[in-house]
Amino acid sequence: MKPRARAKAALTSVDGVHAGSLMQEARRLASASGARGTRAGISYWDASGIFGDLQAKGSALERPSARTLLLLYAADLAFRLRWEIRPALAEGRTVIAAPYVDTAMALGRAAGIEEGWLRSVFDFAPIAVERHYVDGAITTGRGKGLVEFACRHLLNVETRATRQDLVARAHARLKATRHRERG
Amino acid sequence: MMVTGPWRKRARQRFSEPSRRRGLLVAFEGPDGSGKTTQRKLLKTWLKSEGYSVVTTKWNSSDLIKPIIKHRKAIRALSPEEFSLLHAADFRHRVEHEVLPALWDGKLVIADRFLFTGLARDCARGLDLDWVLNLYQPLLWPDLVFYFSVSPQTSSARVSATRTPNFYEAGQDVTLIEDPTESYIHFIGRVIREYEALSTIFKFTSVDAEQSVHDQHREIRRLFREGEQRPWSDWNLDAVAEWLALRDGTA
Repeated sequence: MKPRARAKAALTSVDGVHAGSLMQEARRLASASGARGTRAGISYWDASGIFGDLQAKGSALERPSARTLLLLYAADLAFRLRWEIRPALAEGRTVIAAPYVDTAMALGRAAGIEEGWLRSVFDFAPIAVERHYVDGAITTGRGKGLVEFACRHLLNVETRATRQDLVARAHARLKATRHRERG
Repeated sequence: MMVTGPWRKRARQRFSEPSRRRGLLVAFEGPDGSGKTTQRKLLKTWLKSEGYSVVTTKWNSSDLIKPIIKHRKAIRALSPEEFSLLHAADFRHRVEHEVLPALWDGKLVIADRFLFTGLARDCARGLDLDWVLNLYQPLLWPDLVFYFSVSPQTSSARVSATRTPNFYEAGQDVTLIEDPTESYIHFIGRVIREYEALSTIFKFTSVDAEQSVHDQHREIRRLFREGEQRPWSDWNLDAVAEWLALRDGTA
């Protein structure tokens, strides 16, 4: 019997505004990769603990702007690339990054930040070979995702209406990205 | 740009309003051991005696992000990119919460290190100048940048006289030299080369930091008086307009 060809190790991204759906899809992809003969690991955001540290400070401090928050997200992504993503790829494993760059881009665009700045900031991150997008329910509540974190902590996103607006715009941006990718 | 229209217009109106005392941003730049802090304190005391309302902002000092950086430095967990991004985040937070509000209120802001510190150190760590410069967008240009020029030997001798440089200050993350003092001499040489290049590009006001403290202070007073008369720079329109939009709750 001819052995089944092993799938090539690759970086796969999963992006979306809803953390629950994002994690679910990442687990599904990891399991599918395993079934094809390639071990897969999942890299979630805040592996560096930056956002956990911010959260621990509570509301006593001045809220960051979207630009500041995205610089912090980029620092966390650099950490994930150094300690999780690149080493795993070097070992021949598939890595599922959930979320990756597109969620941050969508959040930034939703907050009114120009695309050129965002592209340049995340320029250090390699392009994922496979890119997946999840719809998920749009929530502004207690979810553990980047956009949900932004809803709780960003400057000028203190009211329910502004949170809903931010999430809806980020969601629409991601949808547009997905269409562009498929187009 | 994030914002256009009304906030740019408001910023521009303010820039050209002759009746209001304008805020001034004065940056002190230079390698460790160049005497910036001493001169910054002397200038602040003098300016207060001259009736200025003075606010000081220091590098890596925001309540929000400084503890994050401090902890990661302590455990030597930062790559050059992470180091750069975290300092840019700290800078942005201070610009939005300390520097621009004070300038808008007509205060004089003295920055003990400004974005050029990030540029010089990050480039000395091998990062690309354009990429680093973009992190600091929209740019806020100081009215005056005093650059304290010293040789690597003087910087090293002054720093070593009082303490052993810490891991990142000595650039041990990139030189990979085990001895911090030896690493510092190598690394500060690179930082100074970057500073010198930036000084040429951005036209810093250079102060010979090998002079006596008194002579430097006299020169700084004179240079301040010359620079004080400059108009607001249109280069800062984007930064001010974006901050106004944030302040008004629309961005």
